[in-house]
Amino acid sequence: MRKFLTVILWALGSMAVLGLVTLPISLDTQLIAGLSVLIAMMILKLVRPDGIWRLIALAFGTAIVMRYVYWRTTSTLPPLNQPENFIPGFLLYLAELYSVMMLALSLFVVAQPLPPRPSRANSNDRHPTVDVFIPTYNEEPELLANTMAAAKGMDYPQDRVTIWLLDDGGTVQKRNSEKIADANKAERRHAELRKLAEDLGVRYLTRERNEHAKAGNMNNGLQHSTGELIAVFDADHAPARDFLKETVGYFDEDPRLFLVQTPHFFLNPDPVERNLRTFEKMPSENEMFYGIIQRGLDKWNASFFCGSAAVLRRQALLETNGFSGVSITEDCETAVELHSRGWNSVYVDKPLIAGLQPATFASFIGQRSRWAQGMMQILRFRFPPLKRGLSFPQRLCYMSSTLFWLFPFPRTIFLFAPLFYLFFDLQIFTASGGEFMAYTLAYMIVNLMMQNYLYGAFRWPWVSELYEYVQTVHLLPAVVSVILNPSKPTFKVTAKDESIDKSRLSEISRPFFVIFALLLVGVAMTVYKVYAEPYKADVTLVVGGWNLLNLIMAGCALGVVSERGEKAATRRVKVSRRCDFELNGKWLQATIENVSANGARVQVIDAELEDLAKDARAGIRFKTFAVGAEGILPVTIRNFERTSDGIAVGCLYMPEKAEHHRLVADLIFANSKQWEQFQLSRRGNPGLLRGTAWFLRLAIFQTYRGLVYLLRDWRGTGRIAPVAQTTGQRS
Amino acid sequence: MIVRGVLAVLLLATSSAFADAPSPFNMSTEKPAAAPAQPEPGSATVQPAPAPGATKPAPAPAAQPAQTPAAPAPASAQPAVVAAQPTPTQAISRRYLLPFENMVFSGESTQRAWTLYLTPEQASSRASLNLGYQNAVIVAPESSRLRLTINGKAVVDIPIASSDNPSALKFPVPAGLLHAGMNEVAVSAVQRHRTDCTIESTYELWTQIDSASTYLSFEDPEAGRWRRIEDVRAIGADAKGSTTFNLIVPAMEQTGSAAPLVRLAEALALMANMPNQSFEISEQARGMPRPGAVNVVVGSASEIAEKLEKLPEGAQVSPTSAIVDDPKLGPSTVVITGPNWQAVEQAIEDIARPVDRPVASQRVVLATRNWRLPETPMVLAARHLKFSDLGVSTQEFSGRRLRTEFNVGIPSDFYANAYGQAMILLDAAYSQDVLPGSHIDIYVNDNIAATVPITTSGGEILRHLPIKVTMRHFRPGDNSVAIEAVLLTQADATCAPGATGLQDKRFVLFDSSELVMPDFARIGRTPNLSAVSGTGFPYNRADYSLPLIFERTQPEAMSAATTLMAQMSVAAGRLIPVDTAVSPAAVMDRNAVFVGAIPTVPSAVLAELGITSNVASKWGEAVASNQPNTDTTFDEWRQKLRGSGWRGQVSSFEDWMNRTFNISMNSFRLLPGRDPDFTPSNGSTLLVAQKKSPTGEGSWTLVTAPSPATLQQGMRTLAQQDVWRQLGGRIATIDGASSKVAQVPVSSFEFVETEPFSLQNYRLIIANWLSANALAYALVLICLSIALGLATARLLGSLGRKQ
Repeated sequence: MRKFLTVILWALGSMAVLGLVTLPISLDTQLIAGLSVLIAMMILKLVRPDGIWRLIALAFGTAIVMRYVYWRTTSTLPPLNQPENFIPGFLLYLAELYSVMMLALSLFVVAQPLPPRPSRANSNDRHPTVDVFIPTYNEEPELLANTMAAAKGMDYPQDRVTIWLLDDGGTVQKRNSEKIADANKAERRHAELRKLAEDLGVRYLTRERNEHAKAGNMNNGLQHSTGELIAVFDADHAPARDFLKETVGYFDEDPRLFLVQTPHFFLNPDPVERNLRTFEKMPSENEMFYGIIQRGLDKWNASFFCGSAAVLRRQALLETNGFSGVSITEDCETAVELHSRGWNSVYVDKPLIAGLQPATFASFIGQRSRWAQGMMQILRFRFPPLKRGLSFPQRLCYMSSTLFWLFPFPRTIFLFAPLFYLFFDLQIFTASGGEFMAYTLAYMIVNLMMQNYLYGAFRWPWVSELYEYVQTVHLLPAVVSVILNPSKPTFKVTAKDESIDKSRLSEISRPFFVIFALLLVGVAMTVYKVYAEPYKADVTLVVGGWNLLNLIMAGCALGVVSERGEKAATRRVKVSRRCDFELNGKWLQATIENVSANGARVQVIDAELEDLAKDARAGIRFKTFAVGAEGILPVTIRNFERTSDGIAVGCLYMPEKAEHHRLVADLIFANSKQWEQFQLSRRGNPGLLRGTAWFLRLAIFQTYRGLVYLLRDWRGTGRIAPVAQTTGQRS
Repeated sequence: MIVRGVLAVLLLATSSAFADAPSPFNMSTEKPAAAPAQPEPGSATVQPAPAPGATKPAPAPAAQPAQTPAAPAPASAQPAVVAAQPTPTQAISRRYLLPFENMVFSGESTQRAWTLYLTPEQASSRASLNLGYQNAVIVAPESSRLRLTINGKAVVDIPIASSDNPSALKFPVPAGLLHAGMNEVAVSAVQRHRTDCTIESTYELWTQIDSASTYLSFEDPEAGRWRRIEDVRAIGADAKGSTTFNLIVPAMEQTGSAAPLVRLAEALALMANMPNQSFEISEQARGMPRPGAVNVVVGSASEIAEKLEKLPEGAQVSPTSAIVDDPKLGPSTVVITGPNWQAVEQAIEDIARPVDRPVASQRVVLATRNWRLPETPMVLAARHLKFSDLGVSTQEFSGRRLRTEFNVGIPSDFYANAYGQAMILLDAAYSQDVLPGSHIDIYVNDNIAATVPITTSGGEILRHLPIKVTMRHFRPGDNSVAIEAVLLTQADATCAPGATGLQDKRFVLFDSSELVMPDFARIGRTPNLSAVSGTGFPYNRADYSLPLIFERTQPEAMSAATTLMAQMSVAAGRLIPVDTAVSPAAVMDRNAVFVGAIPTVPSAVLAELGITSNVASKWGEAVASNQPNTDTTFDEWRQKLRGSGWRGQVSSFEDWMNRTFNISMNSFRLLPGRDPDFTPSNGSTLLVAQKKSPTGEGSWTLVTAPSPATLQQGMRTLAQQDVWRQLGGRIATIDGASSKVAQVPVSSFEFVETEPFSLQNYRLIIANWLSANALAYALVLICLSIALGLATARLLGSLGRKQ
């Protein structure tokens, strides 16, 4: 009853606001109202941007957005009898409506993200049996060894957990391939992995045929295992020691729970972060998703399976005959299916695995194409908004998650709309300069402020736009193709361990330069028009400003597609761990300062420079997190330098036995706290103004860098060290 | 003799009023702000005459020797020299053509049409048309033409070539062209500059038709003699464009006579329906009738017996109304009489009933035919109006500034001036000669309301191009909407000799264009004098007789009250019943109209209407003088010094902000303050004030002046259509010297419900109120958003997972 009253009250409030914003008020009133609301939002932002105040500020913003939509709908569409204006004008209108709808859905999803749950690490009195699946297709054995070793090192009774390496690269089908080279390769892989798994105490499993890709592989695993729960890790996602402790407990609290999902934390930057050098200072792209959106989805019991770093209940999976494989994003699809059958999900906001993400722009785009196409397939085959069994909030949440991937369409329209006016004189948005000031400008500022309110610490201003733009160029054809032919796309494994040894342009960078040139011509056209046609300078300036914004974005993207040469394949994580360093048979006291997937930097006290030599063998002895264990990890020395406390030595792991992999895993992955700290160090809301200024500086520099790369590419040289690598030299 | 003197003063005042006041035909006030008022230096204009009528010599009376036009006249119309001073008989066989004094045609293409009501005798008489006009020196005769048509047939079609002296021409009217009842007269002037091709030069083109020497003269000396009461409709105007009813009422001071007299005046006013009508009530005759003036004798048979040589038949027996020829009062004297006052009232009622309109029936048009055709359509709700129905025909145009006007009628409870937007769907085309930078402007009541720039070169056909027109400048009653196309071409920029007269069509406006009026908020407000001016609101729709309070012993006050009520009835389009036998104390909760010189107005009424209480002793002490008004002069200087230097740049941005957003301090006010008491300036001769009645829902209006004489004279000025339409605000004063109306704007008002409740209407009313009170909107929006935020917080607290 109380709940009903609350809903009625809210509905009345909404109706009142809706009634007020759809009044046909005058332009000056709109201007004053818009300014007042902006000022109110700013004051709220400075005073208290959280809790109930955040919701009030969002209500302010919503009012202005709704006024904009009302005005846009009632008085800006070109007349129907001018089809040359109306058709592009209407497309632009639809694109804007899509943006507003997505804003509304996001508002719903992240209206009140669930606060982090208290840890369940110490409340496990029962230990259900767990099967850990590590599906693999073509990853390198070293990488798999780390993952398996880390999985093996998880803090859980050894008899209650079984690790499975599910190898799809060594199936009978592959080994009997008609191409003899492929067959031999598969045979070798099969034998090598089998041996490695055995050494690490992991069960190796492969199958007859490569059917249904990853979903089929895992379903095969399901058939051969019996555990109550299934934990899934991608081949390059290594769990921390406390992964199972933190997640398994929830399954006893709720018998209808099918999923506990945890965030994906990446040790290496994505190509955007790498090329723009923002990995260390700015929150990663996926932190918005895992830090806010999944928490928001969790509020509505709609957080979904992301393919890895999650625990699932076998009983639930059996109900749907395992993982669903209709789409190429089997993870989300499985979650939709189980949610619709009344199962629940939980999201634990604590990084418990560390993984790798695509390093080159091309593979990044490949991964995103798969997500976009998969989500389109889910939209097409499952259609969450009308799927029976889902609750209303869940429908909205899945709508938000799937429709998001339509963004290439509006992005494209926003990109080219100003050019229609600048080049062809089409009037696709009928508004005067004053109206533009009072409505559109207010809407744009409010929109940015709302984004800042929603995601402030997780997403800096304009970064979402940049990511959407760089994906749009190649995602648009991918999305169009999946819409035309929904069953065509097939699962392609994303390569994540590539490295770029020298600076070059991405192989798919050409369209970005073409678009940039086109927009640049648009700017020139703006200048020409302002002088040649002064009687419509106001409109030209407004449209030219819009085009300039696009140009800044496109310029920044030039930097994104200019791949920097990197020495280290993976980033280093700061640690601080006592160890002993073996040098020529002597044991010296030392501290491990940072580690990566391939090597570590050790601060050795009391060492002499002359003792050290490049490529010399050495060893690191340290205590592992598993109680009482200690081991020696063989390394080779790559470089060294004197510091105030001794000598800093950069070394490369030389794992020879399974035991060594365990030590490497323990060094990098065992302690999930360090990842959290790293993430927290990047979080910070620069605010709208500072963020915008920062982005502008970044964009100008990246435009320059992109053009320099282009010039070098034309000259056919790629050997010179890239510009501005001075700050980024790492060993 | 005293009366003559007053009349002379009055006429002088009127003519000077036309010289200074922005009359509806004086295009000089309608220039867009950008157009400089001065012609370019070095341009070939001979005479810098920015405002026609202001600097040129007064139009010569018909008595002056007239002159044959310089250019050869067309064969159909042989101009002739006109005879001098009319004799009395000639006077009544003459029908002045113009409904008001100065008719000026300015710009390159202007037209105007109206109707002329003729009696059967006039229609059947042979007639000729006399035309007097003068034009600006820079009008090129070879490419400028003046045309006058009657009932669609051209009577005058001459080159415009009378720049030196006014010419007075005579044209025969073809037999059978005129008919009894309404005849349509249309005048159009196409004018081109002799040498100048600029847009500015088009503002210097003018041709003025002289009202005194433009008339139909009938060969039949008896043609002007009336035979029946309906012939009152043919009263027309005098040489100065005014219409006067002299009511001769021997018993005017009797209690019972006032209300019937007012009713008679209202009926006569509705019948004649001329733009400038006034009533003079006296006990004595005032002289012989002339065109545009009539003597009306009202009273019981015994009372009027001595005024007339001979009573009409039946006067002693039954209610009688008749037209008589009287040696003392002249021909065509209207007599309304009966054995007693009941019978007189009955006779008045017989005249009044056919012209009345029931309160429930809505007007489709405003009756403006006697000064403007087509009649203004009333727009009460959402409606599409085709230009062809509004009197705008398809026009091909070869000049540089095409201006065409139409009128729409707005109800008095119109309340959309803050938010409303009408739309014009324009069908037009321009040729490839027209350069970008040309524009099409829309003016509402001479205020710019929209501008559409032409941005493409190479010509274009505009099909139903939507143009949003702000309704800010609409007001109750009829409103003029002007469409002005300003066309630039390369040929004009070069301006080779003879280029001004080129006939290449550049622009065409199609009559399939439409004016789209949306549904607008409708609620009456009080005080709102513009509603009185527009439709006589709120007095046009009360269900009781309107208390009309004036000093009965003063003929001037009575004349003023009658003129006011007659004018209000014309605005309302129906008779407004009045009750003259109430005391001010009895109307505290009702509508009431007070008319009287300031000493006779009760001080309680003055206080109620927000006028300083001691005004009675001070106002009018100094006689209206021609001393310049400080405010006006200051404004002129500010205007003059605007736009130079960097301060000019700043203020031009300010101007842009003001033009675009119309934001003033009023936008930021939350609660209206109390209006300060008003003290009329000594230069003003008439004051009109309105306020809600002390109790109840009524609305009080006061018309007052320093003295009875100024009251009557001021009321006569006010009753002129163009002055009357300037009425507005809560208090309006008329400047005695210039006839300019000054308004005190309404700051606090109360709503008067006029429509049955509907959600849609209330939504629009709220929209308008909030648009006028921007800060209130912002506050309400913020409050509601906070409420929504709180409700959302509660909702989120009770829905979904909490932990």
